[in-house]
Amino acid sequence: MTIGPIEAVGAGSPIGGLSPIGGLEATESTTSTNGADFAAMLAGGLQKVEAAQDRADNLAVQAATGQLADVHEYMIAANEAQLTTQLTAAVRNKAIEAFNEIMRLQA
Amino acid sequence: MSGLFGALGIAGTGLTVYRKWLDAVSDNIANMNDAVATNADAFQARYIVARAADYGSGTEGVQVGGAVLSGKTDGRIVNEPTNPLADEDGNVKYPDIDLGDQMSQLIMAQRAYQANLAVVDRAKDAYQSALQLGKG
Amino acid sequence: MLDDITSVTVKTALTGLAMRQRVTADNIANIETPGFLAGRVSFENSLRTAVENGSPAATSISNDRSLEPTRLNGNNVNLDHETLTHLDTNMRYQLMLRAVDTKISLLRTAIGG
Repeated sequence: MTIGPIEAVGAGSPIGGLSPIGGLEATESTTSTNGADFAAMLAGGLQKVEAAQDRADNLAVQAATGQLADVHEYMIAANEAQLTTQLTAAVRNKAIEAFNEIMRLQA
Repeated sequence: MSGLFGALGIAGTGLTVYRKWLDAVSDNIANMNDAVATNADAFQARYIVARAADYGSGTEGVQVGGAVLSGKTDGRIVNEPTNPLADEDGNVKYPDIDLGDQMSQLIMAQRAYQANLAVVDRAKDAYQSALQLGKG
Repeated sequence: MLDDITSVTVKTALTGLAMRQRVTADNIANIETPGFLAGRVSFENSLRTAVENGSPAATSISNDRSLEPTRLNGNNVNLDHETLTHLDTNMRYQLMLRAVDTKISLLRTAIGG
C-alpha cells in the first residue's frame, strides 16, 4: 500500500527558483530547514503507518485464534491504524495540491 | 470460552453452581415426605459445596466442590400404624429435613443466580461498547 | 485484495464462529430432547497452528458431540453454558467484522487519495 505520488515529488524535479523538496540528500544541502523537516516527517509518518497497520493485523489474528486478552486492545490499535493512514493520506493529498498549484504558477 | 470476554465465563461458572444448588434444594423439598421402614436409612438432604476454581492462581470462577449428604440417616420416627411400611410398633421413619432451612437456602441460591445474571448483562454492555470504538 | 494472512485468518474465524452460532441454536432448541448430546464447534487451535504454518485457510472447523454427563433423559445440554456461548460468539463475530471493516477502510483510504 505505497503512497505512490509522493515518490514522484521526491524525484528531485526542480521547482525553478525554489530549493528542491524531494531527495533527502538534496534537501540537506540547502539552508532552508523547512524542506528537510517535511521529507523527514513524511518518511517517519509512513513508518508509523506501517507499524500501526502491522500491530492492528497481529492483534486481529490473535483475536481470531482466541488468544487476545482484551478486546479494547484490538479496537484501539485498529482505530489508530485508521487514523494514521488517513492523516498520512491527507498530508499526501495536500502536498500534491501544493505541487500542482506551484506548477500552475510556472506555466 | 472465557478469556477475551472473561467476565462472561466467570459469571457462567456462578450460574452453573447456583443452578445445581437450586436443583439440590428442590430435590430435598420434593423428598421431604419419603417414608421408609424404621430399620432403613432415611432420605438425606443434599448440600452443594462451592469452591473457588483455583484460588490465587489466575483461574477464576467457582466450582461445585462436591455434594455432601447431611448424614442424618436416623430421620424422625413418626407413629403411623396405617402406613404399609410401619413396623410392629406402628412407626415409620421420615427424613430429617427442615423446610424453613431449605426455603432460606432456596432464596440464597436464587439471589446468587440473579446476581451472576446481572454480571453477565452488564459485562455484555461493556464489551459491546468497546466493540463500537471509533464508530460514527 | 483482502487475501493477506490477516484477512484470510479473520474470514476463517468468521466461518467458524457462524457455525458455532448455528450449533448453539441447535443445542438450545433441543434442550428437552431425550438422548441429545450438545454439539461443540472448535476451530481456534487448528487456526492458530495453520497461521503459524503460514496458511490460515488450511484450518479444520470441527463439530463434535459433548461427552459431559447426561441428565436422566440422556440429554446433556446445559442452558447456562449455551446462553453464554451464544453471547460470547455473537460478540466475537462482531469483533471479527470490525477487523474486516478496518482492513477495508484502510484500503479505501489508500485508494481514495
